[in-house]
This record gives sequence, C-alpha cells and structure tokens, in this order.
Amino acid sequence: MLIQILNGLVYGTFLFAMASGLALMFGLRRIVNFAHGALYMLGAYFGYTAAKLAGFWGGLLVAALGLAVLGVALDILVFRPLRGRDPLTTLLVTFGLALISEDFIQTFWGNDTHSFAEPALLSGVVQLPGTTFPIYRLAIVAFGILVAGGLAFWLTRSKVGLYVRAASHDPVIAAVQGVDTDRLSALVVGVGAALAGMAGVVAAPILSISPAMAADILVDSFIVVVIGGLGSLGGAFAAALILGQINVLGVVFLPELTALLPFLLMMAVLIWRPTGLAGSRV
Amino acid sequence: MKHSLIKLAAPLALAALVALPGLPAYAQSGPVKIGVATSLTGPYADLGEEVKRAVTFAAKEAAAKGTLKGRTVQYEFADAETDPEVARRASEKLVLGGYKLLVGLISSAQGLAVGGQLEKWDALYLATINKSNKLTADACNTRMFRANHSDAMDMAVIGPWLKSRPEKDWVIMAADYAWGRDSAEEFTKAAKVAGKNLKASYFAPIGTKDYAPHIQQIKDQKAQGMWVAISGRDAINFGVQADQFGLLKTIFPVSQSFAVPLTIKGMGPIAEGIWGIINYSDGLDTPANKAFVAAWKKEFNRDPANFEAETYVGMQLLFAAVAKAGSDEPEKVAKALEGLSLDDTIFGKVTMRAQDHQLIMPNYMGKVGKVGAELKPVIEMAVDGSIATPAPDPSCKMK
Repeated sequence: MLIQILNGLVYGTFLFAMASGLALMFGLRRIVNFAHGALYMLGAYFGYTAAKLAGFWGGLLVAALGLAVLGVALDILVFRPLRGRDPLTTLLVTFGLALISEDFIQTFWGNDTHSFAEPALLSGVVQLPGTTFPIYRLAIVAFGILVAGGLAFWLTRSKVGLYVRAASHDPVIAAVQGVDTDRLSALVVGVGAALAGMAGVVAAPILSISPAMAADILVDSFIVVVIGGLGSLGGAFAAALILGQINVLGVVFLPELTALLPFLLMMAVLIWRPTGLAGSRV
Repeated sequence: MKHSLIKLAAPLALAALVALPGLPAYAQSGPVKIGVATSLTGPYADLGEEVKRAVTFAAKEAAAKGTLKGRTVQYEFADAETDPEVARRASEKLVLGGYKLLVGLISSAQGLAVGGQLEKWDALYLATINKSNKLTADACNTRMFRANHSDAMDMAVIGPWLKSRPEKDWVIMAADYAWGRDSAEEFTKAAKVAGKNLKASYFAPIGTKDYAPHIQQIKDQKAQGMWVAISGRDAINFGVQADQFGLLKTIFPVSQSFAVPLTIKGMGPIAEGIWGIINYSDGLDTPANKAFVAAWKKEFNRDPANFEAETYVGMQLLFAAVAKAGSDEPEKVAKALEGLSLDDTIFGKVTMRAQDHQLIMPNYMGKVGKVGAELKPVIEMAVDGSIATPAPDPSCKMK
C-alpha cells in the first residue's frame, strides 16, 4: 500500500509541475488558457528532437528555453491584446491555438507515437521494503517539489515575486505604484510556459509523446487548478497531491469509478467551496 | 386512352424489369463512395493513420487494376475519436452524405454502436480492426461484417499453445472496453481449459496515462504469466512503464494487439522477446503478400503493419463485393459479401462466412525479434483458417 501512495505522490507532483504555470497565468492575467496543454506538448516535442542531438538534459534545456520564449511571445501577441475582453473570447482564442499547435505537430512530426529513454543517471530501480521502485519516478517527485519550492521562494522572497503577488491581487493599484505589469505578465507567462514545456520532457520517458498528449493532460491540469482555487499555487499543490492519491487509490479500491473520481471531487469542491481549497489568489 | 395506357405500361414494364430474376444487375455509374469513420485524434490516432493509409492504398490499387469496372472510388474521412457516441455521429454524417459503405472504426465499442444503426441508415459496415466477438455473435446483423481476426480466432491459437507453457499462475491486464473485456473473458476460458490458475484481472480505461497502480497490483500477485490486451499508445505507455518497474523481467507476457509494429516502434528494445498473437506479418510467404509489401514500401517507404494489412484485405473484399453486385447499394453489397471468397489475398484464400459474417483466414503466433536491424513480430506458429476460425457463435441470429 505504501508503494501505491508513493505512486500517487509521483503523479501528484508531476501534475503540480504541469498545472503550476496555469495557476500562475490565471493569477496574473485572469486567463483560462486552453493552450496550456499545447505548451506541454510543444515542450515534449522540442525536447524529444533536441535530445536526439544533446541527450535528455539538452532536451530539457531546449524545451525550457524554447517554451519560455514562446510564452513571452504568447503574452505579448495574444494575451495582451485580449486584456479586458470577454473571458469567452480568450477561451476560444486559446482553444484555437491548441488546435493549431496540434496540427503543427502532426504536420512536422506526424501522428506516430514516440518515447525517449530516461537519462542513464536516473535509470534503474531502487530496492524498497518488499519491492523495487523506478529511480526516475523518484526523480519526478524531486522535480515537482523543486518547482513548488522554487516558485514559493521566488514569489515570497524576491522583489519580482512581491510585484507578481501585488499585481495578482490588484493590477491597477500595482501599476499605479509603478509596477510594469505588462513586463511582469510576459515574465510570468514565460515562466509558466517553460514549466509546462519542462513537464512535457520530464513526462516523456513515462508517458509517450503524441499529438493527443495535450488534450490528455489539460483536463487533469484544470481539475487541479479548479480544486485548488483559481490562481492559487498553494491550493494547486494540495489539489495535485490529492488528485494523485485519488488516481491511485481509485484504481486499487474503486476500479470501476477511477475515471469518474476526479470529477466527483471537483463537483464536491465547487458545491461546498466554490473558490477552491485555498480560496484566494497567489 | 392511348396515353393513359402508355402511362400505365411504362412503370409496369420498368417494375417487371427490376423484378425479373436472373437478369444482370443494373450497372451503376459514378464513384463508389466509402465512408471512413476512424480515430483521427485521441489515443488511437496512430491506428487511424494506419486505416487511412490502407484505404487510400487499396482504392488506388482498385482503380489501377480496374476492379470496379471503370468506376472510381471516392472516400471521405471522419473523426470518430475513441468514443462510441462520437463514432455513431460521425458515421451517420457520412451516411447522410451518401457514404453508405462504412469502414475504419478502431474500438469494438464503436463498431457495436454503429452496427445497430445500419439497417435504419440503409448502410453497411465492414470492420477491419474491431476484435470483440460480439460483432459476429449476439450483435451480428445482415449489414455488419468483419474482415479481421476476432478474439475467438486469436484464442483458438492461444488455447492449445497455453497448455504447453510451464507458467502456472497468470494475470490479465486489458483495456476497459468491449474488446479488452472480451479478450479477458476468452483468455479466462482458455486458461481454465489449459489448467492454469488465473489470479486476477485488471482493466484500465482507454487513454490511461499512469499505469503504475496497475503494475504494482500485478507485481503483488507474483504470477508467472501475464495476458496483455492493450493497444495503440496505451500499449506503449504500459510497456515502457512495466519495464521501468522491472515487471517485464519477472513475468512472461503474452499479448494480443500489444506488441505490433506500431507499438514495437514506440517501445523500442524492451519489446524484444514479447510473445503474442501475430495477425499479420510482412514476411508471410504468399505471392500476393510479396507484391503487396513491395508496392506498400514504394508508396509509403515503410513496411505494412497488421491493421494496415487487415484493412487492405477488407477493402479488397468490399470492392470485389461491389463488382459482384454491380452496385454499391448497401443491401446488394451485403448480399454479395455473404460467402464471397478471394483466392489470392495476402493471407491466401479467404472466405466471408455467410452465417456470422466473419472472414475465414489463417492466424499466427510468435514473438518480437530482430529482422535485420529492425524489431518485428516473427511468426513461430501458423494455424490454418479452418482451425483458426471457430464455428459461428450460436447467439448470432442474422436479422
């Protein structure tokens, strides 16, 4: 059973790494970004291609940098012009971007499914009481915790983090106080996109790469953000860990309902605590 | 008076002509319209790609060989995703657009969802991927046919082989829908007959990302053998993750649609040595297969995979039935398909059994091995169609 809880922790921390960018973007830009799954997919494909030349770590770096640049461009060219528009417009535009990204991948990489191996440093298994466990999965837990810790440190201990929190709370007052919210938004969307791209590479040795991967992960990511409280990183972290456990324990104890459980949890949270577990923004 | 008689006589003469038996069927003109409802997106999108390649290839070949006596083939693709309801809608749209000869659905649940509507739509569905026995058993009908191997056909090969295996305790890991459930049920029966102990059965929905909880459950069972019935991208995810957990080193995996060319490519070296049903191999030693493989490689610069080959044979049957019927009207094509034999296919002679609409053809078993530098399913055992195709299921009542 302890191993299954560890399995849940792996999926939960991975989900947080993926969904944290979504929470950040919503916190600052109030944007429901349906293209977030596409950023994850693009990161995986960029990383997969770069890894052929520069190995896993090279692929991870290329995905992070490539997606950061793409994120900044996304903010400047799409999110900024859409500021103040009906949320439905933003939703439709980002949904369109997701579809375009999928077609882009199909055109240049095809519909085939790919997978790439974990780095040699993290391959193999470790012996745990009574069983073995893949080292790479433990590395995913470390990655998720590193992302959570890094973001928490950045947001609470740095000046830029202070600006991000201020602008998330009230962008107008923050701007009046001299915070350049446009530059700040570009930075936050860039960081969020880079995290999604890195999550794509980190997931690749476990979850294969295909054009359908964007849609696959988007639903889980939104469930995390909604349960956690839109825009709340702490809430997203808690929600991701809960969802990870529900995913695993559902398979073990309620296999017929596994696919339904995350949605039931989301419904329950929306009914009893509509603002999510955290109930407040960053 | 004269005019009235002429008016009366003309339709009567036409009706008599149509009703007269023994006259050659009225040859239609215009293209033969094929509706291809398949998975263009979602976890089975790469299988949908295989269907697309096979349909375009077969249509091109039929045009070049004049199979349809001068008629051309017009095909329309529609995204059936993986959901039965989406498949039903996509197929209905194709039918309303005049594409009444349907092919291409990936999951058996989709085939079953469409199968029940065919009479109402005045359409025909020829399955080339769906394995669930139900299609040719209790859900069979006059408008639904299957040109690929069913679960029962695969198990007719597995059953006797299983008896010879030393592994005593087995587990099942299958996809949680009609095909996976059907496959698990068939394997359970085969294991019982072979005197094996089935310890547990696990099912995962289509599109499952993390198989870790299932893999841990399988490890906890400490079984020696594992029947795997997962396909497409899910198969790659399960295979890769099972290997990371060290499961593939401690258990003997035998599979159905799990280690096929498409998934072997995705899994890489870990697929080597996995045993399973091989519904088709590009190494089949028939003249038609050699010609097919050469033409396929020229067209797509790759070897044909199992679902591509089975869909190709299905299309050949469909075109032959249209030619025999002299019409692409679904009812007439269905009649022409019943009992239709093709002598020279990639599998050798095949026959569409009239009783349950299952194609009688050989089946194979083997393991993934190196052919040159490439990993491929390598046939170790071939079973003739007469043995590999079990008798029609008594629950099939044609209606």
